[in-house]
Amino acid sequence: MNVRAVANEFAKMRRLRVVPVVVVMVVGVVAYSCVVLTTPGFFESVGDPSGQAWELLLGGLSLAVPLVSPILLAVLASRQVDIEHQGNGWLFSQTAGLSPGHLCRAKFAATGTVVVAATLAQSGLVVAVGGLVGITGAFPTGQWLGYTASAVVVNLVLFAFHLVLSTRATNQLVGLGVGVLGVFVTLTSMGMPAWLAHLFPPWGYYVLATPVEAREVGIVSLDPSHLGVIALGVAGGVLFVLITRLFDRREA
Amino acid sequence: MGSVRAEFLKLKRSLSWAVVVLLPLMAVVTGAANTVISGEPLEGDWHTLWMRVVVLYGLFPLAVGVAALASLVWRVEHQGGNWNALMGRRVSTPHVVVGKVAVLAALTAAMQAVLVVGVVVVGKVVFALPGVLPPRYLLVSVVIVLACVPVAALQSGLSMLMRSFAAPVAVALLGASTGVLLLVARFEVLTVLVPYGLVSRATQLGTGTFMDGGSVTAGAVAVFGVLALGLAVVVTAGSVAVLDRRDIR
Repeated sequence: MNVRAVANEFAKMRRLRVVPVVVVMVVGVVAYSCVVLTTPGFFESVGDPSGQAWELLLGGLSLAVPLVSPILLAVLASRQVDIEHQGNGWLFSQTAGLSPGHLCRAKFAATGTVVVAATLAQSGLVVAVGGLVGITGAFPTGQWLGYTASAVVVNLVLFAFHLVLSTRATNQLVGLGVGVLGVFVTLTSMGMPAWLAHLFPPWGYYVLATPVEAREVGIVSLDPSHLGVIALGVAGGVLFVLITRLFDRREA
Repeated sequence: MGSVRAEFLKLKRSLSWAVVVLLPLMAVVTGAANTVISGEPLEGDWHTLWMRVVVLYGLFPLAVGVAALASLVWRVEHQGGNWNALMGRRVSTPHVVVGKVAVLAALTAAMQAVLVVGVVVVGKVVFALPGVLPPRYLLVSVVIVLACVPVAALQSGLSMLMRSFAAPVAVALLGASTGVLLLVARFEVLTVLVPYGLVSRATQLGTGTFMDGGSVTAGAVAVFGVLALGLAVVVTAGSVAVLDRRDIR
């Protein structure tokens, strides 16, 4: 993968309205996270140093990310690949020395950077909201950073999956349909025991990364499966490289 | 009628059936699976099952599904030289736009029918619920279909303007999220004036969630119906005006 190919993908993004889609994703996640502000008793706990307002906000973030991200990551991947389908870009790139597999990896490197930036921005903005409403309790740094890192990994794996899917299926309805299916899988995974959620990659891993949960007794800390998320990242990376190499062997 | 038939013909080889069948079934399966996994019984029988399936479905999957169908309906016009053929058509612009909205409304009605059948089958087979689905949910289903028409008209307009298949779906997700926030913030009037908010609100009719009182009254049904038709007419008229000012490319 060469730098010029990645730079070229950034240039393509300028006309693909990637920025508005990413803004929708960030705003959507922050807005859904802020729904917890309407929880009865939230503002009473804001000024309490021993309160759980930060944990409540983190719970909102960990619910918002899996609700919003699957569909918009599918949209992002579809936008990147659909132009190549419509303009026969696969063949043009190949004649210019950039095979379909290389092109896919360049797309992942370029748009993946945007996905990482968007995920970090979501997390940072929710922290900013917490600061703005004046939460005085201790900030759960470890839990927050752990969840953000896990969300980055799961988002990247999901984006790579959609990139491959949109490349193989010319009809972009397939990719978007799978994106919507992902939301339902995530919602179902929320009630599953952890061992069962492991069997629904990559969407089930959003749930495995969840650091806190609201129960009748209040917010309780969970033991997120960071190891499982790392395994997902490694397996997803290896599979992405293998599958995109297979793309190089087929006729454009 | 000819325009509507032509639009159905164009959809014949698309995957629209997958959205119409799979999306509501996924909502039913998710509602049922969550009930089974959580181990919480359906205390209110049909009411609880309906609520667990339909409320979440109406928050944003339904709007996204309608958006995907609208993208499918317009996709053919953006391919090859079809846009120029559309610009040189013999039928009037209102016929084209209304034909597409009518097809979308028919597909939305089919989606709702699949959802109702799915709820009945799961209620009987999986949870062995007594009796049948109360008729008021059939009335609510009609309201949901009517509330989907403004969203269908709006998404049809967006898909007409955007060549991308996915971009209008992203707009639908943004619109649905806005609707949810309006619901959560309890801005009742504003919620039902935004097409996406109207769909979310209509799916809650009779469930008692968010702003809903839990009953299905004739007045509420009439208000939803009038609002839906009014919004649909305004949005469709807007689409007609925009398409009239478009040219070949």
